[in-house]
Amino acid sequence: MLRNLFKILRLATRDYLHEWQMSLCFVLGLAAVLGPLLVLFGLKFGIVGAMMDQLIEDPGNQEIRPVGSGHYDQAWLESVRAQPEVAFLVPRTRSIAATIELASEHSARIVPVELIASASGDPLLPSDTPLPEGLTRVVISRRTADKLAVKPGDVLDGSLARRYRGQQERVHLDLTVAAIAPEQAFSRDGAFVSVQLLEALEDFRDGRAVPELDWRGTRADAERSYPGFRLYARSIHDVAGLRDAFADVGVDVHTRVAEIELVQRMDRNLTVIYWLIAGIGLVGVSLSLGASLWANVDRKRKQLSVLRLVGYRTRDIVWFPMVQALFTAILGWALAVSIYYATAQVINVMMAAQVPAGQQVCRLLEVHYAVALALTCGAAVIAAGLAGLRSARIEPSEGLREL
Amino acid sequence: MRANTNRSLHVVSTETAADPDHYPIYLLHDVVKNREAKGVAFRLKVPSLRINRGEKIALIGESGSGKSTLLDMLAFILQPSDVGAFRFRPEAGEDPLDLATCWQRGNLNMLGEMRKRHIGYVMQTGGLLPYLSVHDNINLSRSVLGLRRDGTVEHLAEMLGIADQLKKRPDALSTGERQRVAIGRALAHRPAIVIADEPTASLDPYAAQNVMSLFLGLADEFNSTVILASHAWYHIKSLGLRRLAHRTTRSKGSKLTETVVSG
Repeated sequence: MLRNLFKILRLATRDYLHEWQMSLCFVLGLAAVLGPLLVLFGLKFGIVGAMMDQLIEDPGNQEIRPVGSGHYDQAWLESVRAQPEVAFLVPRTRSIAATIELASEHSARIVPVELIASASGDPLLPSDTPLPEGLTRVVISRRTADKLAVKPGDVLDGSLARRYRGQQERVHLDLTVAAIAPEQAFSRDGAFVSVQLLEALEDFRDGRAVPELDWRGTRADAERSYPGFRLYARSIHDVAGLRDAFADVGVDVHTRVAEIELVQRMDRNLTVIYWLIAGIGLVGVSLSLGASLWANVDRKRKQLSVLRLVGYRTRDIVWFPMVQALFTAILGWALAVSIYYATAQVINVMMAAQVPAGQQVCRLLEVHYAVALALTCGAAVIAAGLAGLRSARIEPSEGLREL
Repeated sequence: MRANTNRSLHVVSTETAADPDHYPIYLLHDVVKNREAKGVAFRLKVPSLRINRGEKIALIGESGSGKSTLLDMLAFILQPSDVGAFRFRPEAGEDPLDLATCWQRGNLNMLGEMRKRHIGYVMQTGGLLPYLSVHDNINLSRSVLGLRRDGTVEHLAEMLGIADQLKKRPDALSTGERQRVAIGRALAHRPAIVIADEPTASLDPYAAQNVMSLFLGLADEFNSTVILASHAWYHIKSLGLRRLAHRTTRSKGSKLTETVVSG
């Protein structure tokens, strides 16, 4: 059985090669549709991909900031942090209390800085940055580090003042520079500090005692509540869902969902347009391939009859158009990939100046080539199947008398 | 596979011929084929036909007289409309096969198997595959049976005078040469029966005579039974063939052409 199948494959191959002009026409016809489709998809994938990359690269797009100030207690914040869509969450103290003046022995300047609540996994800091910890270790912004002329390991003098029981008071504390945050993490004067330090500074300003730093004042409240928090979603795709969840519990938040959705919508729309074009193209190619294979059965009626006459069975004959269609599909696909490859090179070289280094405007993954091949072969098999059924119905006696 | 198909066959009779070389290879009774084309009905009737192993049969008649219809039925590529009996015994010592049952049951693969093994067919013109060399065209009937190379193809080519054309494609050959290739293919698997439908009709009389005697000579050498259709008796009557009696009647009223063949 297998032996005869193998022989039919050989005969179909030789026929395909013998009629090479005809075969070449089919291959060219297929490549003429498939090649531009690959280029179109490569452009869509490359452009949308680059936009997505830019969105993903900027952690600001994953940020969810509560608008105004509220009262969020520890338990509620814990429940938010427990959600799988939340990648990072730290509570914030009042922003008016979250400042400090920094001085260093390397510089004459005193720099007032904003304090940013931070913890491990802070998306704004590179993952290998030493963490701001406890009441002493802080990560300062590049700009601040330059003004104070300090490097990691240096000790800063932090100071802050309050009016307490009618008197102006100023306290100092030593802060060690654990690391310097990169420019894009925070462009103003600032320092990433632990929540514990922020709480201590807020307590001092509010006139409460901070026993750890020997700052006197009234007794601290038992239950602390925070006016805000820093939250980052796991990915840009989770931002919209989290925003809606916050809206449901009455927390108004600020996000960059609009920009993300713009890109997502564009991706969806382009995908729909692309598949419309691809669908028309594929249907067209299948029909033209099917029609030509169908006509081939007529043209080769006598030859197929001869094969039946010498003893090939119906199910062997069905393979004849099938094999030839697959040849056309594979060769057409290979040619289309070559066309795509050459075109993509030209486009990428032409557009290289407009896009960030290393990014390509036109690009495909291996899986895209595989999908294109699978779809083409699928269409070819369906087209050949119809022709094959037709050739199977040829009775040996009917084709023999034709000239 | 073979045992299975054999079992499904109906064994009709156990008659044995006294002379092993002259047992009937075909035995037909009351076989009818009705055909209709463009409002004209055609009927071929075979009340009785017996063809012995090794015989050379000629079927003479003008075109449209039903020669091809009979040949196609004998080659199992055309199903009779009505069958009294259709027995086929390709090998001595084997029981005859009841092909009427095969047709009734639609066992076309069995018929194909019989055809592949025991029958060679020479068409009126061509029938060669344009994408195969002369050698591979002749070898086609052997290849489908999985026969090994044993020099038969080369020997046939030698005898048919096309030995130096073996590597060529059919389109590089003359009409006469192509018919020789077709004859080679029909004989290459050493079939019990060779059926030829006007094999020399497209050749000039001299070439026709030449090809015909080559064909019959080779059929003799290969010990094949020959069933030959031709529209002209004159150029084969000297070759010693048994002519089948046939009578064609046309009735104008019913627009029916009826041919009765027996022998």
